[in-house]
Amino acid sequence: MMWSEKYRPKNFLDLIGNEESRKLFVEWFTNWKKGTRPILLVGPPGIGKTTLANLAAKQFGYDLISLNASDVRNKKNIHEILSPVLGNQTVLGTPMIFIDEVDGVHGRADYGGTEAIIKILKEPTVPIVLAANTDSSDKMKSIKKVVKTIEMKPLSPKLLRLCLNRILQLEGVKIDSDSIAKLVTKSRGDIRSMINFTQARATGFDPPTEKSFESLDIEEGINAFYKANSTVEARSILYSLRIDPREKINAFYSSIITSKISADDMQKFLQVISEADMLYGKIMKTQQWRLLRYLDAILLGLYKKDIPIRYSKYNLSWPLLNRLRWDGTKIKSIIGSLAKTMHVSKSTFSTLYFPYLLYCIKNKKIDLEFDESLEEIVQKEVALIK
Amino acid sequence: MSWIKMPLKYDGKCVVCNLTVKKNEVGFWSRGIGVKHEKCAEKNIDLKCIICDGSVGCPSCEFIEDCNPQAVSPLCICKKCEQLEDPFVSYKNAVIEKFPILNIKI
Repeated sequence: MMWSEKYRPKNFLDLIGNEESRKLFVEWFTNWKKGTRPILLVGPPGIGKTTLANLAAKQFGYDLISLNASDVRNKKNIHEILSPVLGNQTVLGTPMIFIDEVDGVHGRADYGGTEAIIKILKEPTVPIVLAANTDSSDKMKSIKKVVKTIEMKPLSPKLLRLCLNRILQLEGVKIDSDSIAKLVTKSRGDIRSMINFTQARATGFDPPTEKSFESLDIEEGINAFYKANSTVEARSILYSLRIDPREKINAFYSSIITSKISADDMQKFLQVISEADMLYGKIMKTQQWRLLRYLDAILLGLYKKDIPIRYSKYNLSWPLLNRLRWDGTKIKSIIGSLAKTMHVSKSTFSTLYFPYLLYCIKNKKIDLEFDESLEEIVQKEVALIK
Repeated sequence: MSWIKMPLKYDGKCVVCNLTVKKNEVGFWSRGIGVKHEKCAEKNIDLKCIICDGSVGCPSCEFIEDCNPQAVSPLCICKKCEQLEDPFVSYKNAVIEKFPILNIKI
């Protein structure tokens, strides 16, 4: 089980840091009545905004209706999802609405997502909690006018270490103090990523050396991923591979495409890679880097126990790659000299003349004398003609 | 969390004083945190220990290079309290004492 789930706070006291913000949040819930301004939690990822909303629902006995930016992208969706909640509470118990990553609601103005949310926020009949990473955009400014904002800050390294030491103590895991300090500082105040990094380190794929989790190279990472004994282990490995996402996708692609696996698996894995590629393309296009957190979840679909996939840097198998690299250079030199003799370009010769020449050699209609090494290459090419 | 001194490319909000840091003004920038005025960067902020209410001693903290006291959650824990028998329980007790509403039971 993921430690970040296992040690997810069970009540408001289990959370760490942002004490004043937590207090304001609980006070808001305690005093909530129809018409109270909704609340907006603003802060970087991994500091407990979603957890706080979940805890509030649990502690105050609400039925939590969680939405994210993609659910509330256009007016129609918002009305379809929220109208039953806002209009007929008795059927749905005591609902509470939580809209995560509300700063991610974007798109053309005619989708009307933001306007529809603001309209609902103005007349709240149930408690509404919004969460955002930042509140500086114009769209957020209009949302902020109708809500009460609570700012949440990243945790100080010392508080993170306090929390980490507690988890390590409960798990019975020992990590030297330098490594703990490294894990703490690398997480940049993000408690969730710190716990994930630590679990990845502690589960064994990364030998307990001084080597940082960040230095696990792509080859070790991909090989460890496919040697993992469970999805949980594979997930930890994947999360620990802190490399450029494009490089990550490419590495999986080249490793899979050059492996000998069944057509079904290949089709399934390529589908997953395609999804990951589309997500990354979307991130690059829209610059919504917060979506990057979903990339690893998609790539986890590439895991299958005991599948014979190992890291490969290139998209082609070694024999083919060698042939292209070494034989290709020699073929180029043959084509270069013959093209000159025939008074045509190298490209014309290789496309139109060379296959014909090989046929002639095969059918013994022509006898050309090559060097020993070139002769071998030409014979190889002739042998490939069907 | 290292801060880089540079002439800023865009207008931004100072993480210390909340006022605008104007484009082309020399200020400090840190990835993921934001910008601050040169003047604000000179201010030494010392966080408060949630357990003993004393000062945490940020200038001599081992994490000072990686922590921005102006931008993190305002209550921290001092070296002395970190060495208590169970600092996590002490932290929780301090939270209960200072923020009793968080100990809500419904």
